[in-house]
Amino acid sequence: MASATDNRYGQKESSDQNFDYMFKILIIGNSSVGKTSFLFRYADDSFTPAFVSTVGIDFKVKTIYRNDKRIKLQIWDTAGQERYRTITTAYYRGAMGFILMYDITNEESFSAVQDWSTQIKTYSWDNAQVLLVGNKCDMEDERVVAADRGRQLSEHLGFEYFEASAKDNINVKQTFERLVDIICEKMSESLDAADPAVTGAKQGPQLTEQPAAPHQDCAC
Amino acid sequence: MKLEEESWENRHYQLCPMDLGLFQALERERVLEVLQRDKALRTIEADRIRRLKVELQGIYHQGAKTITRPYGQRSCARCQRPLGKFWDCGSVCCGCSHRICSRCRVVRSAIEWKCTMCHAFREFKIKSGDWFLEQQAKKYTDIKENGHETTGDKLLQSYQRLSFIAVVPPTPPPFKEVKSFNKSEEPKTSKPFTKSMENLMMSVSAHIRKLSKSQNDLSVEAGQLTVNYGRLNSRRKSLSEGALDRACNLCKAPSLPDLSQNAKSSEQYASSSSVYLTDDDVSYTSAYSDEHRDSNSSTGMDCGFFENSVTGEIEVAFGYNNRTSCLEITIKACRNLMFGDMRKKCHPYVKVRLLPKKYHNNKMKTAVRRGNNPVYNETFTCALEREQLVSSVVKVSVWHSRGLKRKLFLGETFLRLADFSLEKTHTQRSVWNTLGPKQRHSLGGDVELFPSDLLLLNAQLQFLTHTDDTLTGSAGQLKVVITDVWKLSVSKTAYIEGVLHLPGERELVQRTALKKTDALQMSFRVSLQELQQANLQINLWEKHTFSLADRLLRSARLAGESSWQRLQQSPGEWHDFVLPLHATVSTNMRS
Repeated sequence: MASATDNRYGQKESSDQNFDYMFKILIIGNSSVGKTSFLFRYADDSFTPAFVSTVGIDFKVKTIYRNDKRIKLQIWDTAGQERYRTITTAYYRGAMGFILMYDITNEESFSAVQDWSTQIKTYSWDNAQVLLVGNKCDMEDERVVAADRGRQLSEHLGFEYFEASAKDNINVKQTFERLVDIICEKMSESLDAADPAVTGAKQGPQLTEQPAAPHQDCAC
Repeated sequence: MKLEEESWENRHYQLCPMDLGLFQALERERVLEVLQRDKALRTIEADRIRRLKVELQGIYHQGAKTITRPYGQRSCARCQRPLGKFWDCGSVCCGCSHRICSRCRVVRSAIEWKCTMCHAFREFKIKSGDWFLEQQAKKYTDIKENGHETTGDKLLQSYQRLSFIAVVPPTPPPFKEVKSFNKSEEPKTSKPFTKSMENLMMSVSAHIRKLSKSQNDLSVEAGQLTVNYGRLNSRRKSLSEGALDRACNLCKAPSLPDLSQNAKSSEQYASSSSVYLTDDDVSYTSAYSDEHRDSNSSTGMDCGFFENSVTGEIEVAFGYNNRTSCLEITIKACRNLMFGDMRKKCHPYVKVRLLPKKYHNNKMKTAVRRGNNPVYNETFTCALEREQLVSSVVKVSVWHSRGLKRKLFLGETFLRLADFSLEKTHTQRSVWNTLGPKQRHSLGGDVELFPSDLLLLNAQLQFLTHTDDTLTGSAGQLKVVITDVWKLSVSKTAYIEGVLHLPGERELVQRTALKKTDALQMSFRVSLQELQQANLQINLWEKHTFSLADRLLRSARLAGESSWQRLQQSPGEWHDFVLPLHATVSTNMRS
């Protein structure tokens, strides 16, 4: 019963228009690093240990309240498997932020991070915000990627870094909130950077006030 | 490393083209369900953005309402309150460079403030996700063409081709209880659709493409896809696009070829309905008139922004009563009007005006009707001399009435009476005319340049046959005299260019400097046959002071066989024509 209500709630959430803006976030990483689990933990606060490979793409919607604003997140969960790559890369372009995930118990998933980051650079916009997340940090016994290595790599790539666990609900919420924050920062940055351009576009009336301006442009 | 990257990319493009046919039926259904969900979400989002835009438009109109005088240095650009010379003199907003009084400011920090309008712009950019689209546009230049097509849509289309079941949206999965996270092969774990959601999706699926320039512009290069959606695209794009789309189109300079292309398409329309109208879709209402001075208008923010997306047609019939010397204009009906706010009902009415204003001073309005396909059947009569028929233009505009609030523009069209050959018959013939976006408002700095919202140019044309030229037999000369050059009170560097486009891509060009006193004369050597398929374009150019490139200010076109027939039937006589000179978005430059 409870989950039925949840479902309806979720549906309502996606059709709800009572929010200030919408961000699109993409979760990427090798197969079986825990992308879907991570999303389900965040959106539904649920976890299941069973592994089911994602088909192509999926998304969930969650509205959060951050910095006095209601922000609707459309979080895309992608299939890690190579054969879906063409679908998933097509969605890079519309994403404002990325969660690049690896599994701390899986060396291969960590070494693929570099490749994933290249993918982002290729297919996404130039200011794409990326968080590097080492998932499954509850499985300390099976850890093969030290936290330091993760941190070093994230610094090298210029991403922020979290270790998280979808199973034990460690750092999941924090990861998303941090990503939302840095997208917000990027947003005001790009708007303020655009301002001088806007001024330039409307130089008309200004010409009468500052006749010197066009000459400066001309003195090449 | 570099090599590795490339090979990875190549592999994607070559080995795994986005061919959904590769997937199994079950996978396809699964992805389809996600895509449909996404589509529903985007539809809702598009609706939200449209409402934001209507709101912003409201704010804009509040401010711009009373600007009738030349751009005043001494009044607040927002509230029009007069400003003092020394005391309470306002200051210039860093966003829009207009002088703003202290009340119309939104203070962001101790030193930083913006005028209410600029603030509203910024808020809109944030809320609509426009900021992101702008950033994207920096990287993907093709976004302008493909912007409205999202990956989701493309995939959906390809699915619809591939999947037999996918012609209709999928039936919603059963409303099952889902115990925590439990993903299995069947689609039962996916979030179920409610019935209402599905209905919504179906009902608005027609609209989504028009407005699908929401945040998720996941367009992919066409080459990356093996499916062919060209067929669908072209049909859908021919619908009037949303304002955002237009804003986006604006970034591309509508160059002269574009212009003539537009004209060609409207010519096709004309041939079927026997009306020709030079309503090239090149002029845009803009918030700030000053893109006029700027060659690269900013990324869509302040250009086509206030444009309601204009769609729809209006049925108008004209008749001329010789006995009473009255022109009868019947407004029959409108169809497919586009109204910004989908949640409210449209209350349209039609305004009719005879132009030029100098001669006719009667405005006519129909009653307000309801809905997007209103029927009026109202006839207006206005006294008009027969001789004036050919030189008159009827402006028909459709507005949404909001009671006491400011009315909203829904579309307009200009009809040249000369095209209807009213002198011959009294019977009214009704014709459907497509509504276009608003002609440029004279706001801000260019007020004195364009005193009315539309400039009508009176031209006299004459066709002379040279009978002595026995070889070709029908060679002749087309003479064009523009009689009211004084109207074009532009700067001294302006000049008029007449271009006669002839069949076979040939064109004859004449340029004449503008002298305020004289009538302006041009002549073209052209044969009778050629003239029948020709079209004449009159462009007003201005030499730019600070750059080498010239700028196209306005342009008018004369085409259609009916016009030329008049000339040919009585060679040697002068015929009057009235040409609407449309303002062009001043991104047409040339050196």
